[in-house]
Amino acid sequence: MGITRRQFLRWSGASAVGAVVFNGCRIPEEELQVESPVDMPEDLVTGIDNWYATICRQDPEACGIIVRVVEGRAKKIEGNPDYPINQGKHNARSEAGLQALYHPDRIQQPLFREGSSEDFSPISWTDARRKITDSLGNLADKSKFLLVTQPLRGHLALLASEFVQAYGGKHMAFETLEQVTLRQSVKDVFGQDRLPDFDIQNSRYLISFGADFLSTWISPVKYSRGYGELRQGPGKRGVHVQVDSRFSMTAASADEWVPVKPGGEGILAMSMVYVIIRDGLGDRGAANVLTGGNGYQALDAFRPDSHDVVEATGVSEERIVELAHVFADQNNQPSLAIGGGSAGAHTSGLFNLRAVYSLNLLVNNVNKDGGVFFNPAPPIERLASQDVMNMGVPASFRDWKEMDSPQVLMIRGVNPVYGLPPDANFVTAVENADFVIAFSSFMDETSAKANLILPEHTYLEDWGDDVPDPGPRYQSMGLQQPVVRPFHAETRSFGDEVLLLGAALNIGLTGRLGIDGNDNPTFQDLLKKGAEKLWMENRGSVRAGTFDGFWNGVLQRGGWWDTEAKERAIGSDPRPLDTIWPNISIEGPTGEDTYNLIPFLSNSIADGNLAHLPWLQAAPDPVTTMVWRTWVEMNTKTAEEKGIREGDMLEVTSSNGTVIAPAYIHPAVPPWTVSIPVGQGHKASEQYSERYAEGIGVNTLSILTPIVDGDTGALAWAATRVKIKKTGEHIDLSRFEGNVPAFELENAKIVQIAPPN
Amino acid sequence: MKRIAAIGIVAGGLALGGLVTLFLVLFVARAWWTTPFEVFGFGGAPEQPIAFPHTVHAGVDILVDEDGNHKLDASNEEMNGLGLGCTYCHRNVDKGASASIPPVEQCIFCHKTIGTDLPEVAKLVAAWDNKEAVVWERVHRLPDHVRFVHEPHIRFFTKTGNLLPSGEQAAMAANVCSTCHGDVAAMAEVKQVRSLKMGDCVDCHRNYSAPTDCTTCHY
Repeated sequence: MGITRRQFLRWSGASAVGAVVFNGCRIPEEELQVESPVDMPEDLVTGIDNWYATICRQDPEACGIIVRVVEGRAKKIEGNPDYPINQGKHNARSEAGLQALYHPDRIQQPLFREGSSEDFSPISWTDARRKITDSLGNLADKSKFLLVTQPLRGHLALLASEFVQAYGGKHMAFETLEQVTLRQSVKDVFGQDRLPDFDIQNSRYLISFGADFLSTWISPVKYSRGYGELRQGPGKRGVHVQVDSRFSMTAASADEWVPVKPGGEGILAMSMVYVIIRDGLGDRGAANVLTGGNGYQALDAFRPDSHDVVEATGVSEERIVELAHVFADQNNQPSLAIGGGSAGAHTSGLFNLRAVYSLNLLVNNVNKDGGVFFNPAPPIERLASQDVMNMGVPASFRDWKEMDSPQVLMIRGVNPVYGLPPDANFVTAVENADFVIAFSSFMDETSAKANLILPEHTYLEDWGDDVPDPGPRYQSMGLQQPVVRPFHAETRSFGDEVLLLGAALNIGLTGRLGIDGNDNPTFQDLLKKGAEKLWMENRGSVRAGTFDGFWNGVLQRGGWWDTEAKERAIGSDPRPLDTIWPNISIEGPTGEDTYNLIPFLSNSIADGNLAHLPWLQAAPDPVTTMVWRTWVEMNTKTAEEKGIREGDMLEVTSSNGTVIAPAYIHPAVPPWTVSIPVGQGHKASEQYSERYAEGIGVNTLSILTPIVDGDTGALAWAATRVKIKKTGEHIDLSRFEGNVPAFELENAKIVQIAPPN
Repeated sequence: MKRIAAIGIVAGGLALGGLVTLFLVLFVARAWWTTPFEVFGFGGAPEQPIAFPHTVHAGVDILVDEDGNHKLDASNEEMNGLGLGCTYCHRNVDKGASASIPPVEQCIFCHKTIGTDLPEVAKLVAAWDNKEAVVWERVHRLPDHVRFVHEPHIRFFTKTGNLLPSGEQAAMAANVCSTCHGDVAAMAEVKQVRSLKMGDCVDCHRNYSAPTDCTTCHY
C-alpha cells in the first residue's frame, strides 16, 4: 500500500506533536537536582549569634566585655552589664579589640634573628623553645635574667612571680607615664597598698587635680559612668571642678576648669588645706594628724595670700579661699578630691598628690558614700601575697635607669624601647643582652630588637583572669576566656609557654603552683585551681553544687564578686604633710619662645600601644577632633603674637631632642604651656614596618627631660620645658571640627570657649 | 445495511477509543518510565555526587560502617555523630520557603581543617578550590503547581503543644523536621519517607485544623 503525500504529511505532523507532548511531560533534568552554591550568599541568614563574657585587655582598666560571636568569628564587643567595674559600659579602645584579632600584620609564627642580622626568619615552636631553654639553662648568674611585662594581676601575676623566683631572675613591670607617685601617695595618706575606689557618682562636689579621669586616667570607663550619675540634673547634680595645667577632655566636661601652673597643683591643694584648717571647717582630728599637732601655722608657707603661692599656682588668693570653703562646706558634702596624671608627674609629684588626697581626710569622706572606699585584698589568698601584688606595681623611671643590665631578657606585651625616654638606657640594655625574647603579636620597636619573637594569642583567644585595681570596693575577680578559636595556627598562650619553660628548666614550677597533679598542666588548669578555692567558699555572685557548675557560672557572668566582702579597716594614720616648700623644677631651654610641655595620653591610642589599630587612629580626639596625627596645642593669643597659624609646622626642642609637629591653636591652652599627645611616631625598624602606625606623627616621649620625683623616682613627665620654632612649612590638619555646623539644642546653648583672663 | 453501519460506527468508535487509550497509556508510560522512581516516593535513596552522611553530622548515635561494624577513630575509640541541629546547615528553613542547601563555603568552614584526608571530603575541597557548585540529586520534590513554604510549618510545629498528635511537648527542631522528613539524622543516605502527595498534605492540615482551601497551596 502506497502512502499518499497527504498521509505522509499527516503522520509526520502527528509524530512531531507526539514527540513534543511526550517530552513535555518528562520532568526536566535540572528539576531533579539541587545545587550547593560555592560562596556563602550574603543575604542568607547566617545562623545564631552567641555572646561570650570575657575581659578587655586593651586598657589597664580591664573592663568586663561581652563579645558577639557568629560562626566562630568575633563580630562585636560590648560592655558586660554584670561586671562590677564598668557595669555594661565600654570605650572605643575596648571596641577596637576586634581589629587586633584580625589585624593583617599579626605575627603568625615564631621568628628568629641571629645577633648580627637584621632579618628575622621563621622557626618552629620546638626550636624556639629549645633556644629559650638553652639560653636560660646556660646562664651562670641567674639574676641576670629579667622578665619585663605590663603590670600583672591575678593568676598571671602569680605564675610570673613563681617563675621568676623559682628560676632566680628578676621582674619589672613597665607602664608608660607610670602612676608611681599615685600609688605611693595612696599608701602615705590612706595606708593602702591597693588603689581605692572613688565614689564619684554619689559625690556632691568633686575636685580633680590633673586626673583626666573621663579619658585615660586609671579607670576611665568606671569613672565616666559614675560621672554620668553625678551630673543627673537638679536635686542630685554634683559639681565638678578640674584643676589642670591642660584643657583636657575632663576639664572640658567640668563645671569649672582652674588652669593651674604646671607643678603648682600641690601648692594649690596645700593652700586649700591651710584655709580649711585655719577657718576651722574640716575634721579637727585629721587636721591635727596632718599638721603633726602644730595647727595651720605649720603650713604657713602655703598661705593663699603669699606671693609665692599665687606665683606657683597662677590662681588668685580669693579663688583659692573660695575653692577651700566650697570644698569643705557642709552643704556640699560628701565632697571628694582626686589627683594624678600630670599633677603627679613633677619633681614634686608625690608632694602634690599627698596634699590632694589629704583633702579627703579633712572632709572625713573615707568609707562613706560619695567619698573614698578602700579595696579589700583579692579573694584568693595566694593572689594577695606581697610578691604577687608587687607584680602589678610599675617600675619607676629611676628603677629603669639603675637596673643591672640583664643577659637574658624576656619582654611580654609591652614596648619599652618606644615608651621609655632615651635616658633610661633601655635600648642599650636590649642591645647588650645576649638573648632577647619578645612575646608579641605585632612587630614594634621592642620586638624588632629581640632575637626571638614569639607570637601570642590575643586576649580574645586566650585564658586569663583579673583582680581589678582599683576594685569596686568589694572582692571581685574577672575571668577571661577564649571567645574564639585561635585565628592563626601558630600562636600560643604566654601562660602555657611559661609553664612549659618551667618544666623544661626543671625548676619545680608546677609544684610551687600546686598543679603538679595534672599531666602537662596549662594556664587554664591554674585558673581552675584558683576557681576551686572560690567555689569551696560558697559565697558571692556564683554558687553551685558542683565545681563544673561553678566554673560555667563564672564563665557566663564574666567573673565572680562578693558585694558583702568589703574592706572594713581604716588603714594606718596618714603621714603628716610636708611643711617645707617643695622643689618644683621644670627643665629645658630657657628664654624667648619657651613653654612648659604637657604631654598627655591619647584618648584613643592611649600611650601608643594601640596605634596599630586604624579604628582608634581614626577616632577624633575629644578636644581638638584631630585624627591620624600628632599636634601641638597652643594658645590663640600667644600664637597670634608669634605669627603662628593652625597647621604651621613647629620644631619643638627640649634639652633632649627635637620633634616636628603642626600647631593646633585654641583659646583654652594656658599661654605658658604647649600640649602634645603621646602615642604616635612609630617605626619598628628599617626592615619591618607598622602598617597603620608608621609615618604618622612623632614620639613625644623621646624628648622628655629625664628628671624624676625626688621621693619615688617616678618620671616627672610634665616637667619638660621646650623651645618652639616655626619650620616655615604648613599643612592642612586632618580633623573633624569645622566640617559640621553646631546646632543649638533645646535648653542647651552652644558653649563658646573663651581664653582665660 | 443500517445494522452494518451501526456496527461499523461502534467498531470505529472502539478503535478510536482504543487509539486514544493507547495514546494515553503511551503518554503516561513515557512520562513515568523516564522519571526516577524516587521522584514519586518509591524506592531507595538516590546516589549523590558526594556521599554526605547525615549520621555523622546530625546523628548522635555510635557510627557504623557499611558492614555494620562500629567505626573507630585514630585512637581506636568508637565515634558518635556530631549532633548538629538541622538549622545549623539548612539555615533558611525557619526564615522562608526553601530550607536551603548549604553552600560549599559553609562546609569548608569546618572542612578546611577537619577530615581533609577523607576521599569524600576531598571532592568537596576540590569543588571549593575550583569554585564549582556541587549538584545534588533532589530527594524531596513537589510539583510546580504546589507552593510549599517551610517557614510557617516550622513556626507552627515549634510552638509548644503543637507538635505531633502523640502530644509530645518537646519542641526540638529535629522532631519538627522529622515530622515530614523522617529521622534524617539516622540516614546515611537520605530518602523520602512520606508520600508528600496532596492526600498526605490535606490529611495533616485537617488534623491540625490548618486551612484546606485550594489557594492555601495552589496559587
